[in-house]
Amino acid sequence: MRICPRPEDLYLYLEGELGPYQARTLEEHLERCAACRGRLAERRLLHEAFTSLPPFEVPPDFALSVMDSLPEPAEGKAGWLAPLIAGTTSLVVGLLGFYLLTGESLSDMLVAISRFFGSAAGRFLPLLAKTFKIGGLLLKVAADVVSMFFAGLGAFSRSLGPQGIGLILGLGFLMSLFIFFGAKRLLSLGEKT
Amino acid sequence: MIVRKYEQPLTSYLGRMTGEREAALDFAQEIFIKVYCSLGSYRPAYKFSTWLFKIASNHLIDHWRKKKIPTVSLDQPVDGGDGPLTPQVPDPGPSVIRKFELVEIRQKIERALEAVPETLRELFVLRHVNEFSYEEIADIKSLPVGTVKNRVFQAKEMLRKRMEGS
Repeated sequence: MRICPRPEDLYLYLEGELGPYQARTLEEHLERCAACRGRLAERRLLHEAFTSLPPFEVPPDFALSVMDSLPEPAEGKAGWLAPLIAGTTSLVVGLLGFYLLTGESLSDMLVAISRFFGSAAGRFLPLLAKTFKIGGLLLKVAADVVSMFFAGLGAFSRSLGPQGIGLILGLGFLMSLFIFFGAKRLLSLGEKT
Repeated sequence: MIVRKYEQPLTSYLGRMTGEREAALDFAQEIFIKVYCSLGSYRPAYKFSTWLFKIASNHLIDHWRKKKIPTVSLDQPVDGGDGPLTPQVPDPGPSVIRKFELVEIRQKIERALEAVPETLRELFVLRHVNEFSYEEIADIKSLPVGTVKNRVFQAKEMLRKRMEGS
């Protein structure tokens, strides 16, 4: 290095931030250049001072004062309480509105509500039971079909033996190659069948 | 405990950025509360210290924008509410002469640091007081690494020239 290094590089050298090649080149230059050695010595002293600036003292009770000033966690306010209050309020408002509009007494309303839910359950529950029953039957049939298929496949493969299975797999592979390359050729020619 | 681990580096950073011990402690408290409230947004892929100092840096910027605090004159030593800003100096070096030399230089640096513009001073403090790597500082300040290196260098040269003149 004939040209003197930039002051920036001197700092980076002191910090160990220069690459090995750059650092070696700089060191070679320093051996020949007294002015740069002087600059480096000055910056070395500064660098030592920069890197040893003392930390600030913190009062011993600082962490405690921070902990005391932290806000209450949001989860502490019972997350279930707000929906419960909202639900109860809307039910009361609904009942009151119904009473004001229809003039029905509270007991009549409760009877009407229970009848409504009773009739809905009476219609819905048998339908649900039937759905479950049919679904169960369908699942059982599907399981039987699958087990029969695999049993048949096992018997077939046993009857063929290893050579027969190998032959079938090879033929299948050849067929798939023919189909693949045939389709590719058709596509490349732009033919449509 | 997060507060115990980071109270000193954070206060050292804030102290050198504000120039006041009491303000630094107040800011540190506000930043720890902010961090506590934003813990849900912390992604463990990043270093916690980098995230903490990013919040601290943004907090300072917000404060300066609101208050429009002018840069303090740096020709005089700064005193905080409870005492001098310059802290106790630990044993620095091998020889006694060098020790006194370094102590004197450090005191000059602490005074000269306040004349350095905030943008340069902050990067200098993060590098040499908080000992972050250039890459970490680039993450904290969302700046290219080259820009960070250049600004830290500018800060050092500014300090050197100011100390030459004093």
